[in-house]
Amino acid sequence: MASASFDELIHASTRLNIVALLSAADWVDFAFVRDALQLSDSALSKQFAALESAGYIATERRLSDRRQRVRVRLTQTGRDAFDGHVAALRAIIDKADDQARSSAS
Amino acid sequence: MSGDTSTTDARSALGAIENRRLQVIEQINVPSWYWIAVAACWLGLGVLSDNAPSWVTIAATFAFGCVHSAIAPRVLSGGEATSQLKVRSELTGRRIRITVLGFLVALVGVTIGLALVFQAVGASQPATLASAVVAALILIGGPFLVGAARRRIAANLRSGAGIPAA
Repeated sequence: MASASFDELIHASTRLNIVALLSAADWVDFAFVRDALQLSDSALSKQFAALESAGYIATERRLSDRRQRVRVRLTQTGRDAFDGHVAALRAIIDKADDQARSSAS
Repeated sequence: MSGDTSTTDARSALGAIENRRLQVIEQINVPSWYWIAVAACWLGLGVLSDNAPSWVTIAATFAFGCVHSAIAPRVLSGGEATSQLKVRSELTGRRIRITVLGFLVALVGVTIGLALVFQAVGASQPATLASAVVAALILIGGPFLVGAARRRIAANLRSGAGIPAA
């Protein structure tokens, strides 16, 4: 189990959704993420740039059907950060649940 | 800082994560061309069985088995049904592969049983009739089974993720 580590970069709503999508896949096409999150190309590129500069994602350009396509994947660093962030979110909830239980008893 | 994050915010974030992961799982599938090809081959083998020398049927069955085992590992992973993403193998596991291969093995028995029934009632092309029925079962039942396996994978993710309802 990953050690809890709250990650400010991932926690921002749009980036959280992006990283959550990527976490379930080996790679995802740029267009799939854009359509799933209903973002513009430029808005998504900006978020990718932030995640890429932190070393959380890697992009790869491929030629498919004479069109340039971009595949995005979570790096091991990004996966570790995401797992740590999920563990931190669970820890917040567990702590609140424990407090609620102890105040009820 | 995590200290500034409320429980509601944390629950909402975990809910969003679960929804996005389920969105990827929805892409798990076996391409329709696979079912059409398997059904067509099944019918073809039935026709050969009734009309061709037995060595031809045996050779064709062997060829079908070889081609199928070459493509099945990739197609039946379920993770590469779309060109837009590849689902992580930890999520798909071997569930789709085992479900589909188990289904096909069961259908071999169904085909033989039906052929014997058609033969007993005096049908002139018992293997062809039996394989036509089974080909229809493949076309209808295959996608249905994969859908059921996909729903099970999603349910496992929900229960295994330990993500409380937002």
